[in-house]
Amino acid sequence: MEGPGELWRRLLFLLGRSRFNREMEEEMRFHLESRAERNRAEGMNGDEAGFAARRQFGNAPLLEEKSREAWGWSGLDHLMQDVKFAIRSLRKNPFFVVVVVLTLAFGIGVNTAIFSAVNALLLNPYPFPQPDRILSVDARHISGKNSGTGHRVFLDWQQQNTVFDVMAITPERRGYTLTGAGEPQRMAGGLTTADFLRVLGVQPVLGRFFTAEEDSPGAAPVAVLTYATWRQRFGGDPAVLGRTMTLNARTFTVIGVLPRGFAFPGIETCEFFTALRESGSMDRNQHQYGVVARLKPGVTVEQAQSEMSTIARRLEQQYPATNTGWGVKVQPIGTALAEETGTLVGVLFAAVGFVLLLACVNVSGLLLARASSRTREIAIRTSLGAGRGRIVRQMLTETVLLSLSGGGVGILLAVWLMKVLRAAAPEELALDATLHLNPAVLAFTVAVSLLSGIVSGLAPAWSASGAEPNSILKEDGNAWSRARSRNRLMAWLVAGEVALAVILMAGAGLLMKSFAVALHVDTGLRVEHVLTFALNLPGAKYSSDARVSAFYGDLLERLKSSPGVEAAAGVMTLPMIPGMTGGAFQVEGRPKAPDWVDTLVQYNVSTPGYFGAMGIPILRGRDFNQQDNGTSLPVAIVNDALARQYFPNEDPIGHRYRDDYDGKWRTIVGVAANIQHQQPTKPPMPGVYAPHTQWPSNSMWVTVRGRGDAAQLTDTARTAVRERDHDLPLLNIRTMREVVADSLSESRLVASLLSGFAVFALLLATIGIYGIVDYSVRQRSREMGIRMALGATYGDVVALVVRKGALPAAAGVAVGVPAALAACGVIRAMLYGTGPRDLSVFVGVPALLLLVALGASYLPARRAAKVDSIAALRCE
Amino acid sequence: MGRTEIPPGTLYMLILRSLDRLGPMHGYGIALHIQQMSDSVLQVEEGALYPALQRMLIKGWVKAEWGQTENNRRARYYKLTPAGRKQLTEEVSEFTRVMEAITRVIEPA
Repeated sequence: MEGPGELWRRLLFLLGRSRFNREMEEEMRFHLESRAERNRAEGMNGDEAGFAARRQFGNAPLLEEKSREAWGWSGLDHLMQDVKFAIRSLRKNPFFVVVVVLTLAFGIGVNTAIFSAVNALLLNPYPFPQPDRILSVDARHISGKNSGTGHRVFLDWQQQNTVFDVMAITPERRGYTLTGAGEPQRMAGGLTTADFLRVLGVQPVLGRFFTAEEDSPGAAPVAVLTYATWRQRFGGDPAVLGRTMTLNARTFTVIGVLPRGFAFPGIETCEFFTALRESGSMDRNQHQYGVVARLKPGVTVEQAQSEMSTIARRLEQQYPATNTGWGVKVQPIGTALAEETGTLVGVLFAAVGFVLLLACVNVSGLLLARASSRTREIAIRTSLGAGRGRIVRQMLTETVLLSLSGGGVGILLAVWLMKVLRAAAPEELALDATLHLNPAVLAFTVAVSLLSGIVSGLAPAWSASGAEPNSILKEDGNAWSRARSRNRLMAWLVAGEVALAVILMAGAGLLMKSFAVALHVDTGLRVEHVLTFALNLPGAKYSSDARVSAFYGDLLERLKSSPGVEAAAGVMTLPMIPGMTGGAFQVEGRPKAPDWVDTLVQYNVSTPGYFGAMGIPILRGRDFNQQDNGTSLPVAIVNDALARQYFPNEDPIGHRYRDDYDGKWRTIVGVAANIQHQQPTKPPMPGVYAPHTQWPSNSMWVTVRGRGDAAQLTDTARTAVRERDHDLPLLNIRTMREVVADSLSESRLVASLLSGFAVFALLLATIGIYGIVDYSVRQRSREMGIRMALGATYGDVVALVVRKGALPAAAGVAVGVPAALAACGVIRAMLYGTGPRDLSVFVGVPALLLLVALGASYLPARRAAKVDSIAALRCE
Repeated sequence: MGRTEIPPGTLYMLILRSLDRLGPMHGYGIALHIQQMSDSVLQVEEGALYPALQRMLIKGWVKAEWGQTENNRRARYYKLTPAGRKQLTEEVSEFTRVMEAITRVIEPA
């Protein structure tokens, strides 16, 4: 029942607080003196009168403190006192402070960095109104092998559903060439449908987004610029609406500008948005787009899911040929994204959690050792009336002060790590725009710092504060049992530390081993001396198949005759590049599979000489040659995987098949060896190659084989392309070795992060074991002296001491190995060329840790055994 | 040492009644008065008065002012407020009620 008057009086007290102590002291002195005078008047002598007065009064300092506490500000006072005291006591031990702060800084730093990545990816990627009302609507095949929505099915959904306000296809990123403004430049555009901005609930700052009419096949191209593009390419011109850009030789009119900071996952690099302009007349057998939608008010996600499932079932009945087995998955966009990156993020979070826990345990050990040198100080404080809670709080203040400093240093580490993550993360995660220090991340750091201070400080503070002051001040035998109980706690800490280290190191070991295997896997390619780059011929300028064929034929001839070039060829889908083109496959004379997914094969297109340039052996038959052209017999080369699956007992050469591209029957003329097409770690899938002259694709990768360093071919390639078309930019110029390495960037990132953590874990475990053994040796130097004086040998003493470190470490290994076996099951999917029970890892890691434990115990043991027994006995 | 544990509520009542009877008083005066009135049966740990007085200041039952004693020494005098007087009436009636109940229970039949 705190009235306003009471609060007011408390606040007034806070202002006059400096006076309070003086007045309280004066008031009590007056009381004591008056009582003593009265006692004297009653006949006591001088000293006795004072003593009696004090006895009758009670513990004056304690009562003074109680009086002050009554006002409710004592928490603040104690905190300030504790902080001052902590700073004073820490200043005496700078080395201790540095070790603890650095240990915690590492733990907190890596946690902050990983949290900021998670925060950027999952928790807060959508600065839109009511982001939970934005759903991802995804067509999924029952087999789980395929997903994605085509334009035709998107239109079906849009017309039939009643649960969404608006729906849109998520922008497809496409490259354009900007001409007519100096050097030809690349621009990335996002192709989407008219309601995309309405789904997100965003308004353009200038002009408008395009309409449904502008999103039809015949409409004139329009462009909506991002804020950054508007500033950079148009100087922020307020009259930009109506200006034009020549992209892929077509004129785009600017009709709008998006707000600053507009971002959506996967399209951060888009510089403008334009209409997809699909006719919707295509069949329903297309699955290339993602779809987002905004829920109508009052409709739940479950209702939306149930209605979309009904629509999907109806489509299955209406169009069994294309829609059989296709359902719909509706979920908030945040969840959809989390699904994709879930395991990776989970593993990283668990790993950094372990790192922090390890750091805390280690700091606990250090604090415990330090507490032993402070027992007298604590005993004195206890006997002066400090309660156990007060002492624990004081010691926790010290640890929290340390952990907050650790957090401060940790942020510096985190900022550096974020830079590394931004550079190393796969491009499609688009961390560039979102991975930064922000208030949420800072709040996380502060919280983690406080928490780790408390976690690491609690056990040592509790143990140190529990001692009976009498026995300590008298230095009687109890000191021995106290040291023993502290030793036992330290042994527990070391065991825990080793167990954590086993789990971390085993996980890191498995991932590192996978990465090493993947790096050296035989891709089936000869990647040395090969330079690759991509070209995308603008459709307006290269409007006929003949022009496209002529361009590539001519360019490859130029390249082949350039100095230093051994071979040059083109291919539609370069190996080790994410994504693929694929579709159904039907052998002549055999029935068509009921579901095209069952006969999914990869489609590729190559020019004569591609297999030679990349070192892929032709196992049977022949490569394409100049006689395979647009008018000759349609031919194809299949890979070995396809030959084995579809022609297990016969020679595929001479058979004919049909694909989804043009429905022509192609005659198989050759069988090429398998190559790893997606990533070194994915098994090869059945694939077919068509000659470029019979499947003219505007976008091709060019591969150039030289004799020396592949990067040296860059200038040769540029010159050859410029001579043929000076408006055409070369994209993605890399050596083939770089392409292979980049395909593993995610595993490399995870493996290198985890191995960093593992090294840290090993270091901490070493320090921890060394610390406990060293501490126990110091405690027992007298005992060692006695033992040696009584005839114990050097070896006896070393063995005795080493056991102090080796036993808890062995216990830690015994607990850690089964725990690690269980934990590593989670990362099964991330492993390659090894399993979650890899013997070398699960023998190597414990062996290494035990070896380290022995080493870390041996150093202090040797010192103990060299103690001069006489000196040790004399010093006490 | 004859320290009598006095429940905090009772201590408030004793202080309030002392101030009510004798007017503004310093802490030592209150202690003396309680001791004398109770014929030394109630021996308060005298220092305990001071935290209690602080709590009463917060509640607004008493006010404090520095003044001079008859021996010309500075002392803090506590004075009952109207809220304090009201509190005293409530506490006394509550205490009497409880005491009467207890007396009824322990009286020989």
